[in-house]
Amino acid sequence: MMAKLITYLRDHSQVLKYVFFAFLLFTIVFDYFAERHEPHFFGDTIIGFWSIFGTVVCLAMVVVFKGLYNNWLKQDEDYYDK
Amino acid sequence: MISNSIFMHPATLFILGALLLPVLKRVHISLQKVILVVIPILAIIQIYHLPESFGVTRYMGFDLIFGRVDKLTFVFLNVFTIMALIGSIYGLHVNESGQHIASYLYVAGSLGVTLCGDYLTLFIFWELMAVASTFLIWYRKKKRSIEAGYRYLLVHVAGGLILLAGIFLRYKNVGFEGLRFEQIAVDGETLADYLIMIGFMLNAAVPPIHAWLPDAYPEATVTGAVFMCAFTTKTAVYVLARAFPGFEILAIMGAVMTLYGVAYAVIENDARRILAYHIVSQVGYMVCGVGIGTAMAINGACAHAYAHILYKALLFMGVGAVLEMTGKSKLNELGGLYAKMPIALIFTVIGGIAISGFPLTSGFVSKSMIIAAAGEHHMVGIMIMLLAAAVGTFLSVGIKLPYFIWFGGKSTEESDIETKDAPWNMNLGMAMAAFFCIALGFKGHFFGFNWLYDMLPTPVTYDPYTTYHLSETMQLLGFTGFGFYLMVKILKPKPYMSLDLDWFYRKGARVFMWIASKPINAVNEFVDNVWKNIGIRFTMLVATFFSWFDKEAIDWVIDGSAKSVVSGGDQLRQIETGKIQQYIGFAVALLFMVLIAVVLAV
Repeated sequence: MMAKLITYLRDHSQVLKYVFFAFLLFTIVFDYFAERHEPHFFGDTIIGFWSIFGTVVCLAMVVVFKGLYNNWLKQDEDYYDK
Repeated sequence: MISNSIFMHPATLFILGALLLPVLKRVHISLQKVILVVIPILAIIQIYHLPESFGVTRYMGFDLIFGRVDKLTFVFLNVFTIMALIGSIYGLHVNESGQHIASYLYVAGSLGVTLCGDYLTLFIFWELMAVASTFLIWYRKKKRSIEAGYRYLLVHVAGGLILLAGIFLRYKNVGFEGLRFEQIAVDGETLADYLIMIGFMLNAAVPPIHAWLPDAYPEATVTGAVFMCAFTTKTAVYVLARAFPGFEILAIMGAVMTLYGVAYAVIENDARRILAYHIVSQVGYMVCGVGIGTAMAINGACAHAYAHILYKALLFMGVGAVLEMTGKSKLNELGGLYAKMPIALIFTVIGGIAISGFPLTSGFVSKSMIIAAAGEHHMVGIMIMLLAAAVGTFLSVGIKLPYFIWFGGKSTEESDIETKDAPWNMNLGMAMAAFFCIALGFKGHFFGFNWLYDMLPTPVTYDPYTTYHLSETMQLLGFTGFGFYLMVKILKPKPYMSLDLDWFYRKGARVFMWIASKPINAVNEFVDNVWKNIGIRFTMLVATFFSWFDKEAIDWVIDGSAKSVVSGGDQLRQIETGKIQQYIGFAVALLFMVLIAVVLAV
């Protein structure tokens, strides 16, 4: 049953993609209406700040950490046995 | 009094259980399984009936305090015993008693550390934990595990010695009072306290002394890793929270930890190593909370430890189920399992969203408390670092891990791995942990359920379910998902390992071996040659001189007896010709002479 449901969802991943993008749009709209607490720093006052923060940090992490990995940290799996 | 106290201590239950297991297994294998479930349940009940203080014993002039219970202790006792039950159920299918004995002694050590009221008792249980958990690695019985186990043990013994040095120094500085395990004042710390802190930090896997964790945990047995991910680091968080709240260095190092662990979780290939690195990241939140030190931050650290033990164990169980059933844990070898192991997928995803802090999961109410405490304490830099690590968490453990194990762009038909879902007991263990991951997320006004917040050391005023916090979380997580969608090709795991700071002792050991085998050996041989050619001759010369001096000079001075013995011996040697007839002849002649002498004398 579970397997069939997951397979069904996977086969309709295009629909899921649009649902996901709609959700992203919704979060920004939701942020416009959200009641704000006393700001800790400037980011708390900008609408949609955390969506920009999330995207930028996520992309930066992938680029920086994968860059470090590919150019320095990556070694063969038997590195310590050699 | 003392005998009562012994049976009052929950660690005794687990030690008794460890002793009973092999005996009962001989009677019938199912008795072992019964014990495995009964002991943790008894412990869960027992901790609700502990007095504030028990088991105070005098031993060799020292006051040993085995039991000290307050609200801080109770949070950890509660989650440790629940985790022992979940871990035992998950491991029920394992028949080898040794593994269960190791995990029970490990739990006993952990409970002992949590309950103890002085540093000597703490040290005893601390070492019990280290030794018992090493066996959980060795029981995997692969060459890599044996080696990793030795490294794990060596690092922990070194950490234990630093801790012991701190304890001794404290005793020397302060006396008996210094051995009591209490909060250390922020401005009154000495070298002794820093040594103790380093000992604790090693177990909390604070970089740069963290590398033992991602080195050892992925090599442990499937069930062993579930236990290990729960106890060592969280016991360390407890002792840090007990002794060092408010030390700013911990806040900074904790924030660095969160990003350090996440960085490796993003790049790693082995599923259990991703989770192990991610422990470093998550424990970073707790260490940071302890370092901030406000009531809210300590509450946050405890709540996060509680939530973390359950969802990280759930993740280790999910990935462990895949490893148990397929024999694989490397992401590049997996993929497309969604129709073959759907139950493990569902549970792992629940663990994944809980660790990422989705609303209505345990991570949402615990992690945010520490972040909010950083914000209210005006540590904006640290707050931003913690939020960035939250993004990395969802990226690496929330999406990357399940995606590449169960999907990875492969359909079920394309995946060549033949497997099915794990045995019932593994699924039951996962279901229990998953229940807590969801249930802890409901707070107060949701169905009146407030299990976690009511247990915390100080009364909670923090409310995670504000519209702004919901909005912030939804944006962060949603757009992290968007980032993954953009970067999925770059994130594709590759069959490589990544260097970490264990390089220093793993390659360093090699340098040590090289120095021992090359330069030191060469020096040794050189000295050996010098000795053979010069030393021995010189010694012989000296010896000859002294022998001559003894024979000629001293002998002459005293009575000449030595010289006459020597010359007598020479004469005797001429007599000793080796022929038996001659000996008998001499003997008879000698006897005859003695007889004459006796007769004449009479």
